[in-house]
Amino acid sequence: MNTLLSRANTIFAFTLSILAALTFLCFLTTVSLDTKKEVKITTIKHSVRHTYTQYGENADLGAFYFDLQANLDPLFNWNTKQLFIYLTAEYETSKNKLNQVVIWDKIIKRTSNANLNFNRIQPKYPFFDDGHGLKNNQNITLTLSWNIVPNAGLLPRVYGNGKDTFGFPSEYTTHRI
Amino acid sequence: MGFLDSIPTHMDYTGQKLAEQIFQAIIMLFGVVGFVWGYVCEQFVQTVYILGAGFVLSCILTLPPWPMYRRNPVAWQKPQQQATIAPPAETTTQSARKSGKRKDKSR
Repeated sequence: MNTLLSRANTIFAFTLSILAALTFLCFLTTVSLDTKKEVKITTIKHSVRHTYTQYGENADLGAFYFDLQANLDPLFNWNTKQLFIYLTAEYETSKNKLNQVVIWDKIIKRTSNANLNFNRIQPKYPFFDDGHGLKNNQNITLTLSWNIVPNAGLLPRVYGNGKDTFGFPSEYTTHRI
Repeated sequence: MGFLDSIPTHMDYTGQKLAEQIFQAIIMLFGVVGFVWGYVCEQFVQTVYILGAGFVLSCILTLPPWPMYRRNPVAWQKPQQQATIAPPAETTTQSARKSGKRKDKSR
């Protein structure tokens, strides 16, 4: 503390310690908040097409449109940077007990509207099955999940309350989808 | 470096203690206020800004050696005249110098 530089160093180190403590306190104020929210998903115009993967194997390609309603505004607090939301299709085939395919996702930033109301959205990513597991599969479940990206603390993965279950037709479509 | 060395940066011991107490109080106060304000307006960046303001303010108040930190200068002894330390006749020159020093401190 007897020279200018040692004083500057002490003040800076003390400020950083306080900042670290405040960041941890900020995490503590948000750690116990409820992160589950209601989600409403509906799908229309299901179709399935026979195609091949890039390795030449048989594959089913599913297609549909979906509507999505969810109010995720309450998930934003002072410890939230952004939300990463993604739509997962889960189904069972004779090959695999559980298949999970992420078919759509979106980043919601702090400044944007998180009261979601999407209509007639096409999945962003192709819905492939590595075989013939989509044709006539009557139990495909869509769920919305989200990661809450914090300033400090945990990166929770949350499953939304609410899902949609639908089936694919028993005939391949010949149309381009 | 001659110019830089000529700038006085020295604080006395009491002043150093005072400076430390002042910057700790300022930064903690700004931290608490910033935490509350950031919580109210749900922006953690506001907390960081307010803490940064506290950092700048305590730099201004405690980095330069303001006169308030130089009020209790250390009282140094006057330089002793060589003639006042008269070596006693029966001891060696070295031990005489030592005993002379001890006498200075106890005074």
